[in-house]
Amino acid sequence: MRLGVRLLINNIFTYFSAISIVLMAGSLLIIIGPMICKGSGAIFFRSTVEFRELQFNMHNRGSKQALDEQKALAESARTPVYEILNHFKQGIDTSSLQTKVRENYRQYGQQLRFQNIDRNKFTEYRNQAKELRDELVAAYESVDVNEIRPHLQKVLDQANNALFQNTPIAEYFQFARDYQQIISTVDLRKRDQYAQELTKVQEQIRLLLGPQPGRGKPALAMDQYGATRMDRAKVVLDELMWTTQWVEIEKGKPLQKKRTPRAEIFAGTEMEKLFSYIEQNLNAMLLPKPAVYWQYLIDDSTPGHFFGGIGPEIIGTLLLTLLAIAFAVPLGIISAAYLVECAGDTITVRIIRICINTLAGVPSIVFGLFGLAFFVLYLFPLAGMQSKPCILAASLTLALLILPVIIRASEEAIKSVPQTYKEASLALGASNFKTFISVTFPAALPGILTGIILSLSRAAGETAPILFTGAVALGPIPRSIFEPTRALSYGSYDIAVGDRIAALVPHQQFGIVTALILLVLGLNICAIAIRWKLAKRFRGT
Amino acid sequence: MADNKNNSLLEQAADFSRPLLLSPAQDMKGYILSHLGRAFLFLITCTSVLSVLLIFVFIIKESLPFIFQGTWSASINRMWEFFTSVRWYPEAGQPEFGALTLFAGSIYVTFGALLFAVPTSLIAAMFLSDIAPFQVKQICKPIIEVLAAIPSVAYGFFAVLVVAPWMQTHLGLSTGTNALNASIILAIMAIPTIVSVADDAMSSTGRAIREASYALGATRAETLVKVVMPAAHSGIIAAIILGMMRAIGETMVVWMAAGNASQIPTPWWNLGSAVRTMTATIAGEMGETVQGSQHYHSLFMVGLILLAFTFMLNLCSEYFLAQAKKIGKGGKRK
Repeated sequence: MRLGVRLLINNIFTYFSAISIVLMAGSLLIIIGPMICKGSGAIFFRSTVEFRELQFNMHNRGSKQALDEQKALAESARTPVYEILNHFKQGIDTSSLQTKVRENYRQYGQQLRFQNIDRNKFTEYRNQAKELRDELVAAYESVDVNEIRPHLQKVLDQANNALFQNTPIAEYFQFARDYQQIISTVDLRKRDQYAQELTKVQEQIRLLLGPQPGRGKPALAMDQYGATRMDRAKVVLDELMWTTQWVEIEKGKPLQKKRTPRAEIFAGTEMEKLFSYIEQNLNAMLLPKPAVYWQYLIDDSTPGHFFGGIGPEIIGTLLLTLLAIAFAVPLGIISAAYLVECAGDTITVRIIRICINTLAGVPSIVFGLFGLAFFVLYLFPLAGMQSKPCILAASLTLALLILPVIIRASEEAIKSVPQTYKEASLALGASNFKTFISVTFPAALPGILTGIILSLSRAAGETAPILFTGAVALGPIPRSIFEPTRALSYGSYDIAVGDRIAALVPHQQFGIVTALILLVLGLNICAIAIRWKLAKRFRGT
Repeated sequence: MADNKNNSLLEQAADFSRPLLLSPAQDMKGYILSHLGRAFLFLITCTSVLSVLLIFVFIIKESLPFIFQGTWSASINRMWEFFTSVRWYPEAGQPEFGALTLFAGSIYVTFGALLFAVPTSLIAAMFLSDIAPFQVKQICKPIIEVLAAIPSVAYGFFAVLVVAPWMQTHLGLSTGTNALNASIILAIMAIPTIVSVADDAMSSTGRAIREASYALGATRAETLVKVVMPAAHSGIIAAIILGMMRAIGETMVVWMAAGNASQIPTPWWNLGSAVRTMTATIAGEMGETVQGSQHYHSLFMVGLILLAFTFMLNLCSEYFLAQAKKIGKGGKRK
């Protein structure tokens, strides 16, 4: 081959190898960057008045007076929405009107019974009222305008009948007038379609603005408030304004998305102006304001993580990892000390080393199986404890998982202490034990600390070992170490895959995983910094 | 006065009345203490050995009821079904335990991951050991460490919420969670392991062989590919095995991203179809099964296979690492 070609290949090789590193850094950025960006949205966002109401009701945060003022302001902007909605509903939701008409009739009958009139009169009055009732019901049931008009007219003819003054039947005339007005604007043949769309519109408006005032409080916490964040409000608004359909444009091709404005469905009715009103007055109805919701890190969440924070998860993760470290660190350091200081290259030591490496290579899910079979199902009943997953079992399992990490790191750290330190101490007459305690160990401490921090981060991030030994997706904050707990790692899994409600709130999904990543990254950066300092120190000596 | 002071100082400095030799009793005490101390340390060190033994014992103990149940021929039949059948219906009225699809799933994602990870990480390792200047290395090492430190559930999260929708819209696959998705993410997870071990192996081959190669007129690329890589081959093999162990034992990513459909892809090279691995099966089904049922024990059986497999891989990697160490030492001595 010619020299030029060889040099060219050499250069290409160099660039390719550099690109591989850039690729790695790039993938790191691509993975972490968007997650942290989206996750920070859980803390920094534009909050609405609904959010402030929730904060006040659940945690007593913020002032009552300011909240009431804001609520009144928002309320005044919201009233037209409900007015339009309720008025339109009268023409559409006829079944509820029919029940109302029947209810009024029943009340009237009862009223008559207490009026102490003779039997024939009673029957006569009631039959008159019954006639009116049947006319109204017939009007509601029909979809033909020409049929409805005479029915309504018959009802209205009786409007001045003195018999019905100040009785529940008097309301019938108002119903009839309203209905007369509505049938002139609404195409009754589309009533079923309208009714269907109306429930969707109502649902979206509830998601946006919360439950309609004066309608009672829903049972679920996630239904009690509207959109607490502007980004969520925008999503809901979009679903309100547009209908999405998957249509087959060509045969055999995948379905394609088609969006049509929802206002088109209600074209020609008074509902049409509702959509433009909501779009234009969204800010007035929700009063957005930038918020820093740092309490995200300490608050409990409502079921499904719809509202609230990740406090219990953080506490659970800290408990699990610290307990695991407490079990593993003494064992790890003593093992490392033995391996470096006391053991030669005998067959026993070789077996021990092979075992440590094996332990490091055992898949994390097998650790989980082992924790279930040994700690939960064998050891706990043996010790007279309840045989159920708990923090203790999970942290013992994690301790086994990180034991080899700590042993290796401590071994490296102890090995890297210069031989001269030990020799100086031994020459002064100190015993082996004394030398280790007062010279070698302090010198190796920063290195050991690095190992401990790294294993902390490893334990915090592991999910598979705690799946069957102590993690739950929902549950109260644990009171003792004999109860299962929530954890950041398992929570991240659950919120990403298992939970349907959580799919509606991406900021919650990304928030929890960001908290986990930042915890692990922070620990790692600590470890790297300590090692950096250490390298400088040993270079100095 | 001065004499007095001298005397007291002397007394402080050394107790000359003390016998130079320890008495037999003291000797014995020191001997016993130091040996007891050693024994104590040894016992604590044996925790790791004990835990490895316990892991094997308990996983085997829990999977035995699945292996031996009923007559011998029934047991053999069940094992035959376990290793050769593709029908895994553990909760059906007539439960079937054919784990072949699970093995296949694990193998698919593992080799898929290696396909992406090995070339990238070998080139990166060469860059770190021979090409990069010291400062660049100082920056690269933390990047690799952080890449290794990100929790697997975060990778799985990324795979499910970012990669999967992207794949579905841009690659036109029927499902975003599939073997390809899991393989790519597993590759990113395996790269740090492979890079750091291979980098160590290549650095430890020594300057001498490189300089010999340069002296013969080879370029750097030629030296790396034709001299350094063959010399460090055992370390590189160990690195690949370690990366493989990382990929095969990984649970969360494959559980979230591989699609969990128990099938063997057709055609066989179709990485775009959903698969289900051994680890994902254990993670997904253990929570829903009754303790002590046959399904429960069969999951331990899957765990046992996994454990045995990683154990063998581990022994292999150990053998190759020992080889690499020998070569490194040999290079230095010369």
